[in-house]
Amino acid sequence: MSASTNASNNVSNNGLMQQGWTWFSQALTQHDTFSSYFQPLIQMLVPHWTTDAYRAQIVEIRDEMSDMYSLVLKPQSGLLDRDWPTFKAGQFIELMVEKEGSRTLRCFSISSSPAYYEKTGLIELSIRIQQQGRITPWIRQQLNVGSLVNISAAQGEFVLPESIFPKSVMQEAALSSQKAEKLLFIAGGSGITPFRSMLQQLNSNESQLDIHLLYYSRDANQVLFQDEFQQLEKEHSGLTIRYIDSENEGFISVDHLQKYCTDYYQRTAFICGPSPMIQQARKVLTELEVEPNKINFEFFGAAPVEIENSEHGVVLFKASDKTVVSEKDKVSTLLEQAEAQGLNPVSGCRMGVCHQCICKKKSGVVFNTRTQQYSDTGSEEIQLCISVAQGDVVLDL
Amino acid sequence: MTTRLASNRPDAEALIAFENDLNNIREEAMAKVGEKDARYIRKIIRIQRSSDILGRISLVLGFYNPLFWLAGVVLLALSKILDNMEIGHNVMHGQYDWMNDPHINSRKFDWDIWGDGDSWKRYHNHEHHTYTNIIGKDRDYGYGLLRLSDDIGWRPKNRFQFITYTLLSSFFQFGIAYHEVAGERIFAGKRKENSSLPISREELKHSFFSKIKKQVFKEYLFFPLLAALISWPMFFAVLAGNLIAELIRNLWTSSVIFCGHFTEDAQTFDEKECENENRGEWYYRQILGSSNFEGSRIFHILTGHLSRQTEHHLFPDVPAHYYIDMAKQVQAVCAKYDIPYNTGSFAQQYWTVVKRVIKYSFPTEAEQGVTVN
Repeated sequence: MSASTNASNNVSNNGLMQQGWTWFSQALTQHDTFSSYFQPLIQMLVPHWTTDAYRAQIVEIRDEMSDMYSLVLKPQSGLLDRDWPTFKAGQFIELMVEKEGSRTLRCFSISSSPAYYEKTGLIELSIRIQQQGRITPWIRQQLNVGSLVNISAAQGEFVLPESIFPKSVMQEAALSSQKAEKLLFIAGGSGITPFRSMLQQLNSNESQLDIHLLYYSRDANQVLFQDEFQQLEKEHSGLTIRYIDSENEGFISVDHLQKYCTDYYQRTAFICGPSPMIQQARKVLTELEVEPNKINFEFFGAAPVEIENSEHGVVLFKASDKTVVSEKDKVSTLLEQAEAQGLNPVSGCRMGVCHQCICKKKSGVVFNTRTQQYSDTGSEEIQLCISVAQGDVVLDL
Repeated sequence: MTTRLASNRPDAEALIAFENDLNNIREEAMAKVGEKDARYIRKIIRIQRSSDILGRISLVLGFYNPLFWLAGVVLLALSKILDNMEIGHNVMHGQYDWMNDPHINSRKFDWDIWGDGDSWKRYHNHEHHTYTNIIGKDRDYGYGLLRLSDDIGWRPKNRFQFITYTLLSSFFQFGIAYHEVAGERIFAGKRKENSSLPISREELKHSFFSKIKKQVFKEYLFFPLLAALISWPMFFAVLAGNLIAELIRNLWTSSVIFCGHFTEDAQTFDEKECENENRGEWYYRQILGSSNFEGSRIFHILTGHLSRQTEHHLFPDVPAHYYIDMAKQVQAVCAKYDIPYNTGSFAQQYWTVVKRVIKYSFPTEAEQGVTVN
């Protein structure tokens, strides 16, 4: 028997074992796993314990600026806590908090480095307070040092290429590929957070990388992490940071690139910030004929909350990779839109009674025609038949 | 007898005001929903899980003292009743979906009973709650077995329907499981014209058997065998305990449900009259077709607050423990619009159910004539 068939047999055996175990758990507990059946009892001993997330303790809440704070978190480990899997610089996690009995999720980039986590067991999230937001101001007020929150494993593709991180064995190769790789970081406001993680990580690796950071802020007197970055810049000859006041100089433009980063065409670009800035940066780079595969970007921060006068939005059916543009004057429910796209979600009464058409909304705001209320911006379950998209919505359908 | 909706219901204008009043009651309750409701349902779930575990241990301890066995039966029955009524039924109605908790969610929850949760949601939340007590549309009306109104013609088998009723109550979990997949359609081939099942018959059959297999494995095989490891006669002691706990749950749930829709004064409706109903008319029909009964707080919890069937039908997705307070408000609104509101003690209501089952065992006078000829 060849090695490959052996391996595939192992896989299917494991699969069968897994299926058998799931069946056994369903038979005995009506739940897919025993732990989800026992969760409410386990929580009596281990508060905030859940089957689908990790526990983390708030070690410090640090105000960075008037509208910005950092949470320093310590992922828990112990008898009943699974170890939180480590992360790559640039990735984000979902922070889950229970507000008024309702679990709410928000995604935040980790603003500290994996090296820092290895050393201290801590990660940092740097959070901008959304003035009209439901969650970001609330977390600052409600959570205290010592409180427990739930976090997901790290996710996201907004990471530096593997090849540039020197590993002890391949130090030489990594250093030579570092020289070949030149990077352009474009950050807008709190979109700086994944870059802080990357820069800290490079620092710990004694990087020789050539990095150019264009850092846009609304207020030149209030620039997040400025002191820290100035220190980094001194220590690294390859790092150039340009602070740009977007009130005076506007968002990124062809001019800016040609003025502040003349060799932009040699660089791989990473963009993170408010969505209009990202769109504009992509447009500018494309106009300057930078190859699309050299443009990486991450939409950042909570979706805008003001929806009264929302323009038409885009509904993305993620699982089936279809998009619909909803028009403002023609109101149709998400269920109707899905069906018009040939999707066939389970549906029932079409009046919000039977809960068969429940679907996971990944992001965006919907209006519930039955309760006459707007939803939260984060990920949650909604009833398609009575939900109307307000702006951009992403559905797991 | 089918209610002639048009003849005795409030006029259109009054129905709009009536609708608004009920909407206000709903909004008032929903505004209060929050952390304490999350705490409440989690507490009930903890009680249920504890009584499940303690019940199963206690049954085995019957080996030392039969009193343990007795306590085990009671705890297991309690666990099943809480799971089916206050937890399962209400969670699957979406009453706690706002918690965004993956384990307390109408899409994921399955209950400790033969009927598969997804199939139940499909027919119960849709057919029964939308078409409540409409003859020909609401298959829950008599479960296709009982004649509970003279809208359905008398047939000789109805003579024995009190026995049918007793059997249905005792084996209620099978009755419900079979009924919710429209068993008579998918097994006996009684296909209905323009039936609009969202999933295929094969899938329905599969979920029907797959759930029953799991339940049979758990109650009649796994736990009895586990006990047999101690001493083989314990196999039968645990099997009997499980069966009795299920019987208690079956009798309890069927009685609660029958008292909700089949009491003497609960009315039935004609399909045509319910076409293009507006929300006020729908509310009105829900009230006429449902009945409540009184009891203590613990009693209400054990019924899953279906002792407030009327409020449950008006507001199926409001967390059920609000129904107690809402019922007072609904009753006042009904008095205002001169709409009959059906409530009484459990014993009274149950007695009228029994009377109704017996009454319709016999043909009407007109039908008697036909049968004799």
